[in-house]
Amino acid sequence: MSKASFITRRILQLGVTFWAVGTVLFLLFRLMPGDPTAFVVSAQMTPEARQRVIESFGLNEPLHIQYIQFLQNALTLNFGQSFHTNEPVRDVIWTFLPNTLVLMLTAFVIAYILGVTLGVFTGWYRGSRFEKTTVVTALTARSVPTFYVGLIVLWIFGAGLGVIPMSGMGSAGVEHESFAARVFTLDFLHHLIAPAAVLAFYYMGYPLLIMRSSMMEVLSQDFIDVCRAKGLSERTIMFKHAARNALLPIITAAAIALGYAVGGSVLIETVFGWPGIGREMVNAVLRRDFPVAQGTFMVLAATIIILNFVADLLYGYLDPRVTYD
Amino acid sequence: MTVLDVSDLEVYYETEAGPAKAVDGISFSIEEGENLGIVGESGCGKTTLAKAIIGILPDEGYVNNGSIEFNDTDLTELPDAQRRRYKWEEISMIAQSAMNALDPVYTIREQIVEAVETHRPGTGRTEANEIVAEMFDLVGLDAARADDYPHQFSGGMRQRAMIAMALALKPSLVLADEPTTALDVIMQDQILKRIGRIQTEINSSMMVITHDVSVVAETCDRVIVMYAGKIAEEGPVEEIFGRPYHPYTIGLKRAFPNIRKSDQDLLSIAGYPPELVDPPSGCRFAERCPLATDECREFEPPAHHNNGLRSYCHRADEIDDGFRDRADTAETWADTDAARAIDALAEGGD
Amino acid sequence: MATQDEPSIFADLDDGATEEDVESVNRWERTLRLWRETIGEQWRMLTDDLLVKLAMVTLTFFMAVAIFAPLLAPHGPLTRQYETDAEIIIADWVDPVFIDSESAYILGTTSQGYDILSQLIYGSRAALLVGLLAAVFTAGIGTLVGLTAGYYGGKIDDTLMRIVDFLYGMPLLPTVIILVALLGPSLWNIIFAIIVLQWRSTARVIRSQALSLRERPFVKAAQVAGASDWHIISRHLAPNVLPLSFLYGAFAIAWAILAEAGVSFIGLGDPNRVSWGTMLQSSRAYAALDFGVWWWFVPPGICIGLVVISGFLIGRGYEEITNPELR
Repeated sequence: MSKASFITRRILQLGVTFWAVGTVLFLLFRLMPGDPTAFVVSAQMTPEARQRVIESFGLNEPLHIQYIQFLQNALTLNFGQSFHTNEPVRDVIWTFLPNTLVLMLTAFVIAYILGVTLGVFTGWYRGSRFEKTTVVTALTARSVPTFYVGLIVLWIFGAGLGVIPMSGMGSAGVEHESFAARVFTLDFLHHLIAPAAVLAFYYMGYPLLIMRSSMMEVLSQDFIDVCRAKGLSERTIMFKHAARNALLPIITAAAIALGYAVGGSVLIETVFGWPGIGREMVNAVLRRDFPVAQGTFMVLAATIIILNFVADLLYGYLDPRVTYD
Repeated sequence: MTVLDVSDLEVYYETEAGPAKAVDGISFSIEEGENLGIVGESGCGKTTLAKAIIGILPDEGYVNNGSIEFNDTDLTELPDAQRRRYKWEEISMIAQSAMNALDPVYTIREQIVEAVETHRPGTGRTEANEIVAEMFDLVGLDAARADDYPHQFSGGMRQRAMIAMALALKPSLVLADEPTTALDVIMQDQILKRIGRIQTEINSSMMVITHDVSVVAETCDRVIVMYAGKIAEEGPVEEIFGRPYHPYTIGLKRAFPNIRKSDQDLLSIAGYPPELVDPPSGCRFAERCPLATDECREFEPPAHHNNGLRSYCHRADEIDDGFRDRADTAETWADTDAARAIDALAEGGD
Repeated sequence: MATQDEPSIFADLDDGATEEDVESVNRWERTLRLWRETIGEQWRMLTDDLLVKLAMVTLTFFMAVAIFAPLLAPHGPLTRQYETDAEIIIADWVDPVFIDSESAYILGTTSQGYDILSQLIYGSRAALLVGLLAAVFTAGIGTLVGLTAGYYGGKIDDTLMRIVDFLYGMPLLPTVIILVALLGPSLWNIIFAIIVLQWRSTARVIRSQALSLRERPFVKAAQVAGASDWHIISRHLAPNVLPLSFLYGAFAIAWAILAEAGVSFIGLGDPNRVSWGTMLQSSRAYAALDFGVWWWFVPPGICIGLVVISGFLIGRGYEEITNPELR
């Protein structure tokens, strides 16, 4: 199979997955036992408002009409309006998604730089005490829930020492012209540092452990012997040859993990009161704002699906051995 | 002139049970332009020997005793940084498996140029590329394909590329570890002939490590037969395979198909080599040897010299064409301690 | 990865058996013996590692605590120890023994007047229930689907793998949150939601293993000999993928407990049951953080961490057995 037809097939698969996720979500929200409108529509609404909402969402239509409507809207990225604020869901997503991305990407870059580097060293110096301590630390970091570490960090550094803010993305009362203007302020950094550090500590374990076992696998291969026989320095072998080869699985894993991280942003955002898309989804679910819940969920799912796709492409690009059959 | 002089070399591996004596007191030398073959079963220490000479023993392996003198410099005494200068520049290697011996993520050119630049820092890009072209030409590869990745080459091409890289710096000594095992018979022959030609051209010595007797017969002037970390027999190739004096050599030869006598059944030697952490005190082959006596089991054999051969066997002097003929039969090899033990086990098991 | 000519782990047993043996020995007995021997061997290798041993001790400890919770816990987990004045519910807790030596509660009480120690003890029940059920079903469903897809191939494989692909497109926690929100907040629904998503990775890995096993000589031989598909799957394929199923089962314990804790922490936990996640949630809701009431929110997290790391360590120990290159 050629590269082009591989990509075409993957894109088709991508479309099918999107459709499946959307359909399941649609069915979940509408086919649950009990009256769907009772769930979807808030009880505090006046009867007129209630009727208006039901109609505006087409909830009075037969199911298959609703479904077709849903698919049409989804194609134009129209997820309806919030039950609570009447704001279009698309706008809600645009407000919260960048916040999540900034937090996640910061944490990821730190985690992968540290994790990969430590992984190279632990793989290289296997059997050493350094390796054992690092691996156990990495496993511990992955075992304690991020929201718990977040709580402890807030307790010690926030409530106790008062050096980090207890919640949010910026100090109250400070307005900024744009998202970009806000991101490049010290105040933002001050708010970012704790959640990003907690996340980075958690995410670090994964690349570390993968890199370590990948290094071990590479180091047992013949070409490493040849490299040593060539008289290359240890450093050159470790980074230019061993790490470069061992990095392949990491890059794919990173793309996939980033997708799941955005999906898992729910908890850390809740703990630190970070106005991200995960927390918004939870809030929407809790206040039964179904269009927002559906829209934000779709964004989280889409991130995963797209990054999985990117991982596949990256792998083919980075590993000259990959053939598409 | 002697290129390499190994004396009393002991290479041990650290194991949980204690040091395993993978190479246990080996002495030999290689002259300029000479080809030396090392044959033996897998696990006899031949690859360890090669790794020790080139200086790439794994972490748990170490030289316990003895010296490896290259042009009168003892390599075992050199600190790492100095030792590195000898690698590839003076002693290079053709690795065991063509499949995995090249780094998959760099082109062949990049890998050859890397070797050149590491050892000759002043070399310009053009000059390095000339070397690549020259070497590709020498091994019979199209220089235009130097920018291919290893996976784009066939097994035979990859092995040629490996040889091109091994010879790029015109080393005085090339260690070839099973250079053709991964290839089919026809390719094997081509590659061996090619290696032989190039080698005469650049006048390097070679040490060929293999379990395949025919490879040695084709390429080498002199042969060392290794068994369980020790030399069993050593001498000129015609003598070793023509009139060997060590029962192991006789058995080993017998274990390989002979094209001229193709109707002959393949024979294997019953039993396994001894474990190397605590090897038996006497001759290490005694258990599998049809001629073993109590003396063999107890005392290490001294060297016996016959017809230019150095044979470490107590009974080397008694071996004649009569035994060599008898060694063609399965009955002879059934009369060993190991074979008897296996029979007893099989009977007991029924 | 395994090579083509690697024998079945039962090669030694298979070799010794002639046709008559198979006839005479009860088939089920034989299968049972094979399974027992594999499990026994894996167990011995696993317990060689000190960290794994510690992990097993930890898990056993928590299991014992969970089983004997009613005996160990001084109070009911959701029994109010005193009536609070509804208006000033916050900060109305009893200090633990190490702060106030007169206190009747070792770890004090929560703002709602629950005994923290008892909640902690009963919390182990929720955690282990989630962990073990999720592990069994994740490994079970995943293995079954993986083997079926890998063995039959073709359309069956395609269909099953598309379902797995679809599940891979679903973010774990958000999906569990939505499912629980729709199905209602109960521990069973949380477990169900976790299982629905989690079997995907086991299925994918087992399938690729089954694909390669299918081509091995001993499976081909069984096919030629006319063995039924079910016979081949249960006797030749399943025992060979067993180590991997265990591995994913062990990891599933950890992931499931983390997921339950997360969902509960968000506020979708079972209101009628105490879990370590709900403890953290209520401690946060009552601002224990700001008041520095650390004995409320520190212990549950430590318990989660201990159980989860035990799962990971056992999984990792297992991984090193199944993949010797890591050793």
